[in-house]
Amino acid sequence: MTHRPHAPLSVLIVEDEALLAMDIEAMVEDAGHKVIGEAASLDEVEHLSGSLRPDLAFVDIQLAKGSSGLDVCAVIRERWAGTVVVFVTANPLKIPADFAGGHGVIPKPFSRNGLISAMRFIEEGVCDPPPLSPQPASFIAAPAFAALWS
Amino acid sequence: MSARLHGDVMNQRDDWHLTEALDYEHGRADPFAAAVRATRMPMVITDPSDPDNPIVFCNEAFQKLTGYDRNEIIGRNCRFLQGPETNQDDVSRVRTAIEAQTDIAIDLLNYRKDGSTFWNALYLSPVRNDDGDVVFFFASQLDVSNRVQAQTMIAEQKTAVEREVEARTADLKAALEAKTLLLHEVDHRVKNNLTMIGSLLRLQARSIADPAITSKLETMLERVDALATVHRRLYQSDDITRFDVGAFAENLVADVVGASGRTDILIATEIARIEVPSSKAAALGLILNEITTNAIKHAFIDGKAGTITIRAGVDESDAVVEISDDGHGLSTQQAKPDGMGKTLIARLARQVNADVRWSDAAPGARVTVSFPVTE
Repeated sequence: MTHRPHAPLSVLIVEDEALLAMDIEAMVEDAGHKVIGEAASLDEVEHLSGSLRPDLAFVDIQLAKGSSGLDVCAVIRERWAGTVVVFVTANPLKIPADFAGGHGVIPKPFSRNGLISAMRFIEEGVCDPPPLSPQPASFIAAPAFAALWS
Repeated sequence: MSARLHGDVMNQRDDWHLTEALDYEHGRADPFAAAVRATRMPMVITDPSDPDNPIVFCNEAFQKLTGYDRNEIIGRNCRFLQGPETNQDDVSRVRTAIEAQTDIAIDLLNYRKDGSTFWNALYLSPVRNDDGDVVFFFASQLDVSNRVQAQTMIAEQKTAVEREVEARTADLKAALEAKTLLLHEVDHRVKNNLTMIGSLLRLQARSIADPAITSKLETMLERVDALATVHRRLYQSDDITRFDVGAFAENLVADVVGASGRTDILIATEIARIEVPSSKAAALGLILNEITTNAIKHAFIDGKAGTITIRAGVDESDAVVEISDDGHGLSTQQAKPDGMGKTLIARLARQVNADVRWSDAAPGARVTVSFPVTE
């Protein structure tokens, strides 16, 4: 039996725009979850404490210091194998077909409504799959997301 | 041969020898033979019953074409006209036709006595006797060097033009790629800016204690969100000049209901594709946003459960989007948007020539937005 996380989820936010990071943090908390860490670049993710146990990470693709969210995804998957990685990007076309190991994407610009619907759907898929809510238009699931349910 | 020619009984095979006599009786005996001798068309006759199918007759025109004299020609197989550049595949096609006793028309590169070449449009056919046996082969030649040269020239010009077209296409492709890249860059920045505007409004709304102001800011935010959704849908589609209003309405209602956390509000959809030019997308998107957010806020107040139904389709020349609910209906004070929302709907509807109508759906309310799609 797979171990499934419980709400509130521990969320990591990897975003180089301070405003967006603040905004996502606020919405994550409005949705009843907990932000346990923030990073703006690949090396900041590498320097995060190993004691963090993120259930979910929102990862921008174009990050500070020219680093890429795709590489961040690989690092997260290596450090915390159980973490669900959701890209948040204005350029979803840059994500390879296999989502580079990620579980889905929320295209920017996101709306509060869109982000919260997506978060609810992700929470259902992560904590108590399969999700009961229909998949919102604001979230594109990767094959790896449905694979979590089995 | 001479025995046959002067034999008492001349068989059919030997008739052609009569033309020899015409050397000095030009045109006076057999008129057909005379014609063959005198025509401008080079001709030969070969005899397959002799070893190696030699030429047994050639006319003046053939001698003139090839530069050989009759005595250099008679008794030889036609292959003496071939040379190093002659296509051997074509030669073997001729051989096959002779073996199969069928006729063949083919262009061959042949050589004159002086070594110069010419394109020979060869037509070769078997001549049969009454029993159907092949007794001769008849071959006519035609110097088609000019035609072949013209064809070669055309082929070369065609290749040159194709190369030019290819080069131009490559240039155009490169230009298009540069433009696409630029478009993606602009799209990326627009999205980032829309996201930042949304974030700023959301952050501001959180820091204000006055619920009236917060509520107004949130309404503004919903409008920015609606514009962001319009932009996202446009740039995710294959054709950024067209906008699917039906899919947008479905998307919008799902987002708004989803975010409200109201699991007791169901969504029913009956959506057909409605394409409008992208120039109308923002206005129609905002109109639908005002209607939808209003319906969700006011139709199901006090925890009333219900269903929001979205229908979209094209009826003759008009597109119709209908958003109905089975909530409190038009009797409630806030059934219709007021203030800024009302103004927005009125002005934007005029801009895109849309008609927005509220009607009683008993229970609940129905809003019908219709607009021409053929503009």
